[in-house]
Amino acid sequence: MEGHVLGNAFAAAIVLLAALAAWRLRASAFWRERLGEIARRRPIATVVVALYLGVALLDSVAWRDAQPGEASVEARSLLDRAFPADFRERSYSAPLAAVEFYGGAALAHPGRHLLGTDILGRDVLHLALGGARVALLIGGLTSLIAIPLAIALGLAAGYLGGRTDDLVFFLLSTLASMPSILLLVALIMVIGRGPVQVCLALAVTSWVNFCRVVRGETLKLRELDYVSAARALGVSELRIVWRHVLPNLSHLVVITFVLTFSQLVLSEAILSWLGVGIDGSWGQMIDQARDELARDPIIAWNLGAASAALFGLILAVNLVGDALRDVLDPHTLRERT
Amino acid sequence: MRCALRAAALAACVIASLACSNDPYPSADANAHVLYMPYPEAPKTLDPQVAYSVYDHEVLSNVYETPLEYHYLKRPYELIPGLVTAVPEPRALGDGRVVYTFKLRRGVRFASDPCFALGGAGRTQRELVASDLVFALQRIADPKVGSPVLVTFSKIVGLAEFGKRLATLREDDPAFAALRIDEQYRRAGPIEGLNWKVTDDLKVTDVLDVTLDAPYPQILYWFAMPFTAPVPWEAVAWYDGEEGRDGFAEHAVGTGPFRIARYQKRSRIVLERNPDWYGAVHPEWRAPAATYPSEGEAGDAGRGLLAPAAVGRALPFVDRVEMRFEKEAIPVFTKFLQGYYDRSRIPKESFDKAASGGVLSPAMAALGMRLERTVTLGTYYIGFNMVDPVVGNAAGERSRKLRQAMSLAIDADEFLRVFLNGRGIPANSPLPPGLFGYEEDYRNPFRSVDLERARSLLAAAGYANGVDPGTGRALRLSFDTGDTSVQARLRYQFLVESWRRLGLDVEIAATSYNQFQDKVRRGAHQLYFWGWVADYPDPENFLFLLWGPMGQTRGGGPNSSNFADPRYDALFDAMKNRGNDAERLATIRAMRALLEIERPWIELFHPEDYALTQGWLHNAKATGLTVPIWKYYDVDAAMRAERRVAWNQPVRWPAFAIAGLGVVLLVPGVATYLRERH
Repeated sequence: MEGHVLGNAFAAAIVLLAALAAWRLRASAFWRERLGEIARRRPIATVVVALYLGVALLDSVAWRDAQPGEASVEARSLLDRAFPADFRERSYSAPLAAVEFYGGAALAHPGRHLLGTDILGRDVLHLALGGARVALLIGGLTSLIAIPLAIALGLAAGYLGGRTDDLVFFLLSTLASMPSILLLVALIMVIGRGPVQVCLALAVTSWVNFCRVVRGETLKLRELDYVSAARALGVSELRIVWRHVLPNLSHLVVITFVLTFSQLVLSEAILSWLGVGIDGSWGQMIDQARDELARDPIIAWNLGAASAALFGLILAVNLVGDALRDVLDPHTLRERT
Repeated sequence: MRCALRAAALAACVIASLACSNDPYPSADANAHVLYMPYPEAPKTLDPQVAYSVYDHEVLSNVYETPLEYHYLKRPYELIPGLVTAVPEPRALGDGRVVYTFKLRRGVRFASDPCFALGGAGRTQRELVASDLVFALQRIADPKVGSPVLVTFSKIVGLAEFGKRLATLREDDPAFAALRIDEQYRRAGPIEGLNWKVTDDLKVTDVLDVTLDAPYPQILYWFAMPFTAPVPWEAVAWYDGEEGRDGFAEHAVGTGPFRIARYQKRSRIVLERNPDWYGAVHPEWRAPAATYPSEGEAGDAGRGLLAPAAVGRALPFVDRVEMRFEKEAIPVFTKFLQGYYDRSRIPKESFDKAASGGVLSPAMAALGMRLERTVTLGTYYIGFNMVDPVVGNAAGERSRKLRQAMSLAIDADEFLRVFLNGRGIPANSPLPPGLFGYEEDYRNPFRSVDLERARSLLAAAGYANGVDPGTGRALRLSFDTGDTSVQARLRYQFLVESWRRLGLDVEIAATSYNQFQDKVRRGAHQLYFWGWVADYPDPENFLFLLWGPMGQTRGGGPNSSNFADPRYDALFDAMKNRGNDAERLATIRAMRALLEIERPWIELFHPEDYALTQGWLHNAKATGLTVPIWKYYDVDAAMRAERRVAWNQPVRWPAFAIAGLGVVLLVPGVATYLRERH
């Protein structure tokens, strides 16, 4: 299947899931209240996260413009279509410049590149906005792999105990004792480069801590009275886990997802720096700027745009994450009451 | 009392720091006849039979000498006698074999070294004899040495067999393997193609006959490379890395104009004038490699390279070469601007400020600096895998037209401008300037951008508007690379976008270098980017890259395009062993015309080297090959010392400004602290 078709399907699935979640959450007074409180506590951060999500979605819906007898090489996304098709120059130009940075030749689009152009003459604003999709893909897809894995293994270890616990804990300890960046690079070298491969590699290294938390929480939950009562009444183990343990971990899942997300996006930036990142990411833009900062005169707009976009997303996600923890964590809830 | 002492110590530090200089060298050397050069990478080895990198050769070519050398000033490059009295001429034997007779100079001595005690107690040096050159060639064949040029030198009759005999003897008899190296070589038997005669008559030279199994005129260029530098067996036997001694890869004992005085390869290498060098001991010989040349190429006189003060003088001019390890280009450039290096490359980051448009900035020119531009003997190209079913020979005329169309879409000028600050010249054929067969006026009709023609060629190939009729979509091709860096990706993106203008969908397949090499070995690649820098200045060294028998997938050779055309191969065979005459030129033209149509490569550019030279450095001429050049350099040490002082006047105001700012910030803070405390 072609990349853009897969992207479209992925975007549709995300929208569908989000709609489903919103519909389900609307029915729950608890979640309605909590989400409302987050929006009240961090209005700007919430809007910023929504904006990034919107840009990423716009960049995920793409199609080819096939003319009769021609084949369009490139599928253009909605975001691409917000910019003119030939919106590029021959090479570097400074933000809002009318001439090329080197040589001083006139630009094809003078004064229209808000954040300048890169070495290939591509509009930096366009590139920076395009990075949002990659960042959200890394954060989202990796979390979708890592969190269920961490929950499954953490639950099994905590609830079943014994040999299962020993095995899972051995796995946790082994992975935790390896330098994560080295492990990441090694994995990518083995499974190859590409968005899915990088997400897989990140997932392998990022589930460990969460799994440990889930295991500890499950160890505590399985000894509680209502679990013992359910067991005494003959409820099956699977049903106990599904009905009595898992729901009590949901706040942890939400908080971990948000906090892991920003770490994952930063990890990709480090991977790009090491030459094994994903094409079109902010990390790659920053890596590209390595040489540009040493130029005389300096070229800072590429780095500035990517760093600002990365910083904006991470800060907003962290602020929303803090608010989430405040409104969902039973400890902080107790402190407030 | 303690406060007073602290204040005094602080004051002393401040005064000392203000009096400090940024001069990285001892003040005693200020007026010394020393050449200061940076090096970005430590030599991997000092073993001349093994070393193959530019950084190895930079040191080795000044410490060891080879039988032949290149004329310092003449272009195209011309061989001159080095350790021999004349450049040998080939002598054909009836059976197809060819003999070259090398007549070594008498009176050439190795630099003094304790290793010579192995040849007799108390000895610290000895004279070079023909068997030392034979020893060097034996080492090339020795599998334990691991010389990378064994295949080339296997053209010497019996050389490869000698290596095999040696390996068998070592394997069969551990006692043999424990023998001293010269004894091992002696017992392994003679090499049929190496016959020498040593005579004690000082008027007669040592003579070495080298017999090749077939004509190969390029062998002479190999005798101008460090691989053939004679080494004393005593040095190899003595420097074995045992009992606290260096390994031979870390200790050089040569006959060159310099010897190594200090070798801390990751920080500092010092070469000092070799007092035993034959050029210094026998200036009356006026040996070509030991005397500054009196003629060069056109324009050399105007550039001050044939100054009367230098012409005909005995070499070397400087007493010492101070090499400092500098990994990064920007500090080198900064120190060059401060006068602490005599030559520097221009880092690409500072290029536009230093040499915009290929001309030195007026500010730097006013400081007496000079800019030298040299086209490196190299060619960078995009290759097609000719055994690929889509772009290769199997698709016949269709793929030929596809390759031609793709060639017409690549703008080499723009590539150079965007990625290399214009440092290079667009390539029209595999041959770079400076080689026989390169013709400046030649324009390849498929190497200028013509998108209309490219589109019509694509249509004729059956890919109208880039559409593959088999899929109905844009023709998908793979650009394979082993470089995953973002910088490389940008370059490849430029190429991919050029082809996209034709409607072709070329995907960059970046893998690890090993995976890429494996692909190339298996012939699983389609398009690739590659470069070749000459080993020696002969067109054969470039044109063999497309010679059928050198196909990488079939034979493991360097022909990564797997180009195999009987017409080209026949022309190559006719060209490779000829001297540089009109017939050879005509053959090269015919080969070029064939490549023009077949397009196994899209020739991209020949890189150009920009070097900056200080006004006090004389006789510096850039070379496209790594050859011994420092013996020709001269410095005006007094001018350098004077300019260093003038260019490095301390700027003290920032120190005072920072101190003032500190006081302004500290005083209110301390005052507040004291007030609150009381």
